[in-house]
Amino acid sequence: MPLKSVRFITWLVAILLAIPVLIGLIGTLLPAFHYFPPLGEYHVTFAAWISLLHSSEFYSSLRLTLATGIISPIIALWMALSILAWGYQRPFFQKIENLLAPILAIPHAAIAIGLLFLLSPSGWLMRLFSPWLTGFDRPPNWITVQDPYGLSLIFAIIMKEMPYLLFIMLASLHAIDARKTLEVCQTLGYKRLTIWRKVLIPQLYPIIRMPIFIVIAFSLTVVDLALVIGPNTPSTLAVTLFRWFNDPSLSKRFIASAGSIALVLVIAFVIFGWEMAHCFFTRLTKAERSNGKRSGPTDYFLRLGVVLGLITLSSAFVSLVILPIWSLTRRWRFPDALPASWTLDNVQHAYPLLLELSSNTLIIAIVATVIACLMSALMLETKRLSKTTKNHPFDWLIYVPILLPQIGFLFGLHILLIQINLNGTLVAIIGLHLMYVLPYVYLSLKGPYLAYQEDYLVQANRLNNRPWRNYFFIKLAMLKPAILTAFAIGFSVSIAQYLPTLIAGDGRYSTLTTEAVAQAASGDRKQVGSMALLQAFFPVFIFWLAHALPPRWTKWRLSIYLRIKKCYKQIPKQSLK
Amino acid sequence: MLKSLIAASISGALLFTSIHAQADWQDTLKEAKGQTVYFNAWGGADNINDYIRWSAKHIKEQYDVTLKQVKLTDTSDAVNRVLAEKAAGRNTDGSIDLIWLNGENFRAMKDNNLLYGPFSTELPNYKKYVNEHARQSITRDFGTPVDGMESPWGMAQVIFMYDTATLKNPPKSMPELLAYAEQHPGRITYPAPPQFLGVTFLKQALYELTPYKQALSQPVDKADFQKVTAPLWAYLDKLNKVAWRHGVTFPTDSSQMIRLLDDQEIDVALSFDISAASVQIQQGNLPDTVRSYVFTKGTIGNTHFLAIPYNSSATAGAEVVANFMLSPEAQMHKQTPTVWGDLSVLSYDKLSPADQKKFDAIPRGIATLSIAELGKTLPEPHSSWVKPLEQEWRKRYAQ
Repeated sequence: MPLKSVRFITWLVAILLAIPVLIGLIGTLLPAFHYFPPLGEYHVTFAAWISLLHSSEFYSSLRLTLATGIISPIIALWMALSILAWGYQRPFFQKIENLLAPILAIPHAAIAIGLLFLLSPSGWLMRLFSPWLTGFDRPPNWITVQDPYGLSLIFAIIMKEMPYLLFIMLASLHAIDARKTLEVCQTLGYKRLTIWRKVLIPQLYPIIRMPIFIVIAFSLTVVDLALVIGPNTPSTLAVTLFRWFNDPSLSKRFIASAGSIALVLVIAFVIFGWEMAHCFFTRLTKAERSNGKRSGPTDYFLRLGVVLGLITLSSAFVSLVILPIWSLTRRWRFPDALPASWTLDNVQHAYPLLLELSSNTLIIAIVATVIACLMSALMLETKRLSKTTKNHPFDWLIYVPILLPQIGFLFGLHILLIQINLNGTLVAIIGLHLMYVLPYVYLSLKGPYLAYQEDYLVQANRLNNRPWRNYFFIKLAMLKPAILTAFAIGFSVSIAQYLPTLIAGDGRYSTLTTEAVAQAASGDRKQVGSMALLQAFFPVFIFWLAHALPPRWTKWRLSIYLRIKKCYKQIPKQSLK
Repeated sequence: MLKSLIAASISGALLFTSIHAQADWQDTLKEAKGQTVYFNAWGGADNINDYIRWSAKHIKEQYDVTLKQVKLTDTSDAVNRVLAEKAAGRNTDGSIDLIWLNGENFRAMKDNNLLYGPFSTELPNYKKYVNEHARQSITRDFGTPVDGMESPWGMAQVIFMYDTATLKNPPKSMPELLAYAEQHPGRITYPAPPQFLGVTFLKQALYELTPYKQALSQPVDKADFQKVTAPLWAYLDKLNKVAWRHGVTFPTDSSQMIRLLDDQEIDVALSFDISAASVQIQQGNLPDTVRSYVFTKGTIGNTHFLAIPYNSSATAGAEVVANFMLSPEAQMHKQTPTVWGDLSVLSYDKLSPADQKKFDAIPRGIATLSIAELGKTLPEPHSSWVKPLEQEWRKRYAQ
């Protein structure tokens, strides 16, 4: 990109990113210290913190949050790395890759409802084996979901996050030239899993560090998944805070704001601890990694990860399959393995609103994601031109919104939107969506964009000195697969946003997601099933396009181009006659 | 002398207002024309959303007011939005014109001056059809005086549902419920407080178990909370041990209980919607052998309302909507079990004979109880009891 005044653009972007973050933080910080004029509180005190630290529910929720929020990313990472190491470049792996897109695209709450139905004592697994094998005419009184230790919640988080990590890893593999490394090491006699463990994973980790942090923050702050499948006596801290924020007695929001700040500190602390643990672990295993042995007993560790990972992936897939079945169900009681009667009513019921919902959803998602792609390209270009290896201010700034708990943070932003008279408009919704879409787009584009061989562009400019044209038609065209993938990820992130849409739009713009979440409030599996299907349709389609378009692009473009050219040639002849 | 003067001036003022009321209402109708009313209402039930759509059509035709539902997952979303607007100094032209609410949300909004009014007692249909003495909950919403700040919309009462195919004699009191649970471990449960139905279950149990019933209608700080509630906790200690999933988790709300009843995980489900069983049978979510019943000593009932935020941009339109919702036509349609089945707030005696006949002709769903069968409604305890009950429950069973 032939940019001038790189420094200026860098700072402009950084300031644009910082404003909403600051406002959001102030909007949470002030009430946390009891300053909140609309409720008649004008004095800064520590009352909210004192009551937070005296609330025993805070500690029990915190314990649960720490357990689920630390264990889930560890296991998700382990499984994702194992599956990658085991399957990379194998024919069967392609099938797994195809499975990732729908899992990434499906909204969290929907997949959780599917999983809940799969695993609960009256769920699908039980129904398949009852009563002929288990002897149960009625569901047993077991605790298989919403267990007090949060195990089912951990499983649900892993199910949703492991595919994301795998997806990101696959996208960043070319940066470390995995294929060559594998070839070289294999000729040296190293076993496949050992190569990954000793050579490739240590190289891969720094590249996927940020996505891992996002997964950690997500596991610590997730609300919708935890509401469906997490324990409620007590619930995780994020859910407890969510309940406090929504408490009818408005004074609860002070302690809720203090709790939000505490949760932010917890996130920072866990991420810091994670990095320390990583350093420690790297040192610990250094000797083993460079001892020259061609295979080792710790390879079994990866092998176990593969088995567990595949089980997780298949349960995610089954949870997905459950949704269409429910959307066509009329009656389905325990212990029937399949619905006793079917109907199209559930799907038809969603039909009248479909046009409005889909057009709102698409406008918001497409505009927000296109802007995010352009901004990412701009930011990455300034980053490339500045030629320092140091991080830009925006390199961490854009991640702040997704690392913060949504509910308190968005309240502050809402006040800002009202003050500048933007609330209830499409612009405001797109703006808030952009805040959540941008980090994901930036992150998935960063690796491929910075790894681009600039020589192509230099050469093109020598041949035909039109820098802007060449930037779009040479550089961006060559980066097509990466851009389309980033677009698909951003698109599905935008589609899934619930609170930002509701808050910025004053609830006046309904999208497929606001409708689906409102339906999920009743938990009706038939309605949720059909809404979730509709909600997943567009992201799955876009992911498919992102996958299918790049290899066929040139062929199609040329055939269209040639056809047009042919027409051109024919027209003058005909007109001459 | 002074007293009679005051009395005279008050009655004079009343007369004055009633003459002006007619003219005022015409003004309101005129002002409302062309307005759009954003109605923030819980959107989790399709039949209720459909009913609101039906109302919107009629209101558009009759008054030229556009009614748009903003579907919420939780009423507090709307309360939070009004609060944010107040924080930003948006004291006019707010984004919400009408909210469906009651109980604690109403108290929170009223106490923090977030509501417009008083308006409800001046609505023509309120004056014509509502009898304030018919039910305590019409003037005292969970013990908080309504003072015309919200307009009644419908009535709710706790009902229990069971499947006649698996259960012959359902337990009809709290002690019977415990005895049943001890015989059939894992088949009885209740929603986790602070979900309102869960709190209502605690109140229902408290009414039956405590010897100090009088204390419940007073603010909680006038009573010895521990002494009054001791029998409740003793009861729950026993019940939770034999409850569904050993009392380790609880259902989130009524719709989950209905699913669990259909899945045969539990034997008795609770609802605040007297026609829930009929509606769910019709939608294929419950077997047609399910029936409703109430406890012998009565169950807790309340009223739900419509309120207008203080900064609404369409107060006239919102009043027109609230007034329409109180018309016999709208209340009748709402009470039809295949539509919603929500009880009318109108006084039967005040209806015209023709309307009375129409109300009599409303079919009842196969699993809906008649007004007579619903029996005695127990009033909600004073709203100040909610918080301590919730907190004590969470302290004891949720950590």
